[in-house]
Amino acid sequence: MSIRTRNWLLLAPAGTLFLALLIVPLTVVLVFSFGERAPAGGVVPAFTLEQYANLPARWTAFKNTLTLAPIGTLAALLIAYPLAYFLAVRADPKWKTILLVLVIVPFWTSILIRSYAWIFLLGGRGLPALLEWIGIDGVRLINTPFAVLVGIIYGYLPLMVFPIYVSLDRLDKRLLEASSDLGAPPWRTFLQVTLPLSVPGIATGCMLVFILLMGEFLIPAMLGGGKVFFVGNALVDLFLQSRNWAYGSAVAVALVVIMLITVTIYMRLLNRLGARRDDVAIM
Amino acid sequence: MTKVTDYISKQKFMEELNRFRKGSITRRHFLNVTGLGAATAVMGAALPGLLARPAFAAGDIGDRVILATWPNYHDPASFQAFTEATGAHVQMNVFGSNEEMLAKLQAGGSGWDVFVPTNYTITTYVGEDLIEPLDTSMLPNYDPAAYDPRFSDAGSVDGKLYAVPKNWGTTGFVVNNNHTGGHKMTSWKEFWDMTMDSFSGRAMVHDYQLTTIGNALKYFGYSFNSIDEKELAEAEKLLIAAKPHLFAISSDYQPSIRNGDAWMSMAWTGDGKQLNTDMPEIEYVLGVEGGEIWSDYYAVPKGAPHRDAAYALINFLLDPQVNAKEVLAHGYPTADAHTNKLLPESLLNDPILYPAQELLTALEFGAAVTLTDPNRAELMARFKSA
Amino acid sequence: MRFYALSVYLFLYIPIGVIALFSFNAGRNASQLQGLSTKWYGVALSNPFVMDALKTSLTVALTAAFLATAFGTMAAVALQGIHGPVRKAFDLLIYVAVMIPGIVIGIATLIGLVTVFDQLNPLLATIWPGGATPPKLQMGMGSLIAAHTMFLMALVIIIVRARLAGMDRALTEASSDLYATPFGTFRQVTLPLIFPAVLAGFLLSFTFSFDDFIIAFFVAGSETTLPVYVFSSIRRGVTPEINAIGTMVLAVSLILLFAAQILLRRGARPTR
Repeated sequence: MSIRTRNWLLLAPAGTLFLALLIVPLTVVLVFSFGERAPAGGVVPAFTLEQYANLPARWTAFKNTLTLAPIGTLAALLIAYPLAYFLAVRADPKWKTILLVLVIVPFWTSILIRSYAWIFLLGGRGLPALLEWIGIDGVRLINTPFAVLVGIIYGYLPLMVFPIYVSLDRLDKRLLEASSDLGAPPWRTFLQVTLPLSVPGIATGCMLVFILLMGEFLIPAMLGGGKVFFVGNALVDLFLQSRNWAYGSAVAVALVVIMLITVTIYMRLLNRLGARRDDVAIM
Repeated sequence: MTKVTDYISKQKFMEELNRFRKGSITRRHFLNVTGLGAATAVMGAALPGLLARPAFAAGDIGDRVILATWPNYHDPASFQAFTEATGAHVQMNVFGSNEEMLAKLQAGGSGWDVFVPTNYTITTYVGEDLIEPLDTSMLPNYDPAAYDPRFSDAGSVDGKLYAVPKNWGTTGFVVNNNHTGGHKMTSWKEFWDMTMDSFSGRAMVHDYQLTTIGNALKYFGYSFNSIDEKELAEAEKLLIAAKPHLFAISSDYQPSIRNGDAWMSMAWTGDGKQLNTDMPEIEYVLGVEGGEIWSDYYAVPKGAPHRDAAYALINFLLDPQVNAKEVLAHGYPTADAHTNKLLPESLLNDPILYPAQELLTALEFGAAVTLTDPNRAELMARFKSA
Repeated sequence: MRFYALSVYLFLYIPIGVIALFSFNAGRNASQLQGLSTKWYGVALSNPFVMDALKTSLTVALTAAFLATAFGTMAAVALQGIHGPVRKAFDLLIYVAVMIPGIVIGIATLIGLVTVFDQLNPLLATIWPGGATPPKLQMGMGSLIAAHTMFLMALVIIIVRARLAGMDRALTEASSDLYATPFGTFRQVTLPLIFPAVLAGFLLSFTFSFDDFIIAFFVAGSETTLPVYVFSSIRRGVTPEINAIGTMVLAVSLILLFAAQILLRRGARPTR
């Protein structure tokens, strides 16, 4: 068996799967997006740009997604970075592994159940009741964008901590010592040595969280009370309530295109910043 | 129940079963006497055909049945009794709207055996070839003559029976009177005005277009079913103005009302009754302008994976004894005269279940076109994403 | 710094604590503690639908993770030796598969497969021999496993490839210079070197598949996975049964995690 045949055989299952479950479904979505809504729901084949012309009707959903996704990513980064730094640089090596595992453990319960816990914590009998007890009245948390943000940070924090930790852990501690031996104040060491070296981890973490947030449906549905509306929620409504497959397909295509553009620009920028592409790859 | 020879006679079993049905003995007693609880399987094998109705014979309908229904709409004890009588467990999937059920069935492979469509959806299901005509020979408990035709008519399409009535009810709203300052709410106009005023951040509307838009149309006195573009535009304006003041858009409002986060919500009869029973300060109000009256049905989707169990479950739930217990548990009225005979007088006079005639006459049944109108669907989407 | 870390850990664990605490609630209200009891664990464990959902989830996650790891590793190895348009096409597909949000994968798979099945089913019926009823293609466990496998396979390819890229080519070349068959080289040189990545890919795939809600929500047809069951229960009005399920899943995962740690430490060989 030649190497060539061998390679073809090795690639066959992957190729078949990609064809049947990626190319074909995406093509169907693309074809449907040019179709028309059937009266009772579903799709009538056609060639019309009507669905795309109608996209501005979901502008708010796109706007919300494109606002909350970067904010959520940034918030998760800001909270995760100091923790990752602590774990990689400051923590007692004896405790390091266990502390790291403790970051992932919450990830092992379903995100549904974890979000459900937040419904209670942010609801009238949770935090607001506690605040009332110390004299702050009338705070409303559940079913607000803030609740959704908390849910998002909570849900995706480990995904941010992990890659940053990995890149900081790889960092040679002697570099830090050298920097301070040379009389650099800690903030300069951080800005000029630590931070640049952790860029790959930051890049990976941000991309992971950003991708997940762009398609988020569950957290806004559970913690936003149906009032905080993402593209994901618009899609679920279009397919599961109004049964408008044609328009739903157009929204899906638009989301995919926006994602591909954003992520590609993001990767280009990083490449320019000098991060190695391999590091940006997932994990 | 340690010895297998512990069977009771067929006659004795039937007596016990009837006593259980009548409610004169507890379930535990029934199970102890008959030994059902410990050895359903043994019974199935040893006493075939014991029960009077063929669909009830244990062991031949499979071990499960999947039911798609609405929140807070059943007495869990009935399902336990069904499982004990037939060996089939009931899995309940809960939905928020008819639209969602229709979408699931249209996409194929819902896997449901029984579901609970509302009157205005049935012609669509039949048109889309999604439900099967019912085989009444498998539903001996269904007595068409016993039903008020207002609430059973929609089950037949072109003379064929596709669905049998479950319960009927109204769509009004619940309000927590602890927060109204003694004011008595009576109308949809007040519902929306209060939402945007003193109840800001405390009111909920349903997460589907039919009632949310319908009751916004009622603010202006238009028909609940209107698909007139000008009227819908007015309703949209109201909805969008009210949106920032809403606590949530959700059809599952009981938890929020119960824990005090929300003070007012669009609600169905039974939820109103359940909430009022547990918390007397919660009142169920029908708007004087009108609103929705509806009737829910049991239907079997085409290709139901456990068809026999589906019929057995429907038949079981239609049994007046069982049905009466259901009504007592969930607080939705039934149109079945046999069941009503078994219900206490107080319930039959309950103003939540049976509103005054002048309130009832203002109500409208939802129309099929209201469900499928694309403009209403888009309006709802604009409201949610606003 | 330490204080900061502590507060983040509190943030992470208070909700988990709430879940666990309420799982011992004696009452049936999930937001009001009415005495302690373990009865909801009994209720959850004797509920056949919970057990079925768990079985479905485990079957799907194990099968999808196994297939994704196998196909993904095969593809990653093959792609090492391929250049030109095929390589470019695969790179693009992997990129797209990872970039696309889960919700779009779910929806696209649903309407894609439903459309294809609608075309194929009548065809199958006509060509099926002997007048017997042919199997009806429909959404279910098969479509769910396939959708998961596709997406996870792309992840595995990326992970294994990163490891392969860091590998010393001289090793495989030396192996073939010593007249080892390609398969021998793979088994004795490449596989041990990439094994940590393969294992990581498998574990990641399993975790993802087991926890996935949104793809299963659209693609699982009549099958109910654990997350889908939990979602439906939350709508039905939560009883502490859900908390009990969550706590048990967490406990079992923790035990597995520590067991794996111990095993890995024992069997650790220098791989770098």
